[in-house]
Amino acid sequence: MASLAHPQQRQFNPYSENGGTILAIAGADFSVIAGDTRQSEGYSIQTRYAPKVFRLTDRAVLAVNGFAADGNMFVKKVKQRLEWYRHAHAKDMPLRAIARLIQTMLYARRFFPYYVYNILGGIEEDGTGAVYSFDPVGSYEREACRAAGAASSLVQPFLDNQIYFKNQRPAPGTSHPVHLPLPTVLSIVIDSFTSATERHIEVGDGLEIYVVLAKGRNLQGLEGIRGMQELTVTEDGERVFVVRRELKKD
Amino acid sequence: MFLTRSEYDRGVNTFSPEGRLFQVEYAIEAIKLGSTTVGIRTPEGVVLAVEKRVQSPLLESSSIEKIMEIDSHLGCAMSGLTADARTMIDHARVTAQNHAFTYDEKIKVESATQAVCDLALRFGESVHDEDAMMSRPFGVALLIAGVDELGPQLYHTDPSGTFMRYDAKAIGSGSEAAQSELQDKWHKQMTLAEAQKLTLRVLKQVMEEKLDQHNVQLAQVTPQQGFEILDEVKLKEIIEVM
Repeated sequence: MASLAHPQQRQFNPYSENGGTILAIAGADFSVIAGDTRQSEGYSIQTRYAPKVFRLTDRAVLAVNGFAADGNMFVKKVKQRLEWYRHAHAKDMPLRAIARLIQTMLYARRFFPYYVYNILGGIEEDGTGAVYSFDPVGSYEREACRAAGAASSLVQPFLDNQIYFKNQRPAPGTSHPVHLPLPTVLSIVIDSFTSATERHIEVGDGLEIYVVLAKGRNLQGLEGIRGMQELTVTEDGERVFVVRRELKKD
Repeated sequence: MFLTRSEYDRGVNTFSPEGRLFQVEYAIEAIKLGSTTVGIRTPEGVVLAVEKRVQSPLLESSSIEKIMEIDSHLGCAMSGLTADARTMIDHARVTAQNHAFTYDEKIKVESATQAVCDLALRFGESVHDEDAMMSRPFGVALLIAGVDELGPQLYHTDPSGTFMRYDAKAIGSGSEAAQSELQDKWHKQMTLAEAQKLTLRVLKQVMEEKLDQHNVQLAQVTPQQGFEILDEVKLKEIIEVM
């Protein structure tokens, strides 16, 4: 029989942390959302292919990172709400409406949160590329770029330098561009993940890069990209593409 | 009209053998006793106008409220048992606010109308032991005007919970004459000013009293200003040029 003389403590931890990294960058008329596909717990890899980036509509893509079980459930619930909205209002939910919906869904669980960091990317009603980033309880803002997850502390400073030109001075008589072209953004994304794979043990295996193009935008910057596949459902609207690449598996 | 009146016109949740719900049909009749209400949609916005029956010279006409705001982009005019409309409009307001809270966007006119109509058939609804929330159908019809991404729109709802979109619609006691007048005079490229004048002209034809700024109420919903009830000064100006 257990001794009653000594204090005992028991606890159940409902959360775990499954590694991986996600990132998104907004352009003038496109948005890029990417994530690696490794899922790990401690030093063991649970799977080399667990997607963290999901197409919600033809103009919205959601990346989820943190506790994988919560992330998958959260995406499932967001998709369900999008379908209900489509039935009730006879249209796809606009990006900024999805952003607000995600806030209300996350804050509804303020005292037992979904242990996930969300990044939403896509095209706004006015045709501009957009990225929204969230904390686990729903604080959100629209930004030009954001990295989250295990290697966010490695990737975010890189993006600050390459996208926001932090600690860089423009050549005399010139200024930094507000938006970068798609080929440049894609290179930055790929470089971010190859570097994160080198320096962080929880990042690697595979890379999925989603690209959302504004209505009527040409494919400039996407032609000849290896491993590209189109996921668009509706015609003459925004278009969604995914690029799948390998990352180092060690 | 209902010569076959029988025990089937008592219960609100019993069909007659011919497949009718008499209480709903009687509720629709109740609207035909209400004051005349007119709505017109134009490319520039929607106009709503109601007749205010001032039954006594001692009655403060400004206290008669037959046009109400649902949201900054949605307005509503009523005819029939106006007390019933308060329940419906309250529901519409809550729905519109909840939509703005959850989705950071204005609710569509059709969605707000649908929300109101969802209430309409809740009569006689009770869960085994509990009392029914509503004992009879609403005795009111609404004209819901609004502007959303699809442009200016006008919807009509009735006690059966049916709703339909109109370019121009009249309800209430003078609705038959008013509707045929609207059918003659409405055209696609009508301006807002023309619509204001037409609603008043139609009301003037069906009203017993002489129309002035005290016994009518006019409101409009435009993409620029949203919902607004015109004050008596503005109303007087329109009546003078009409």
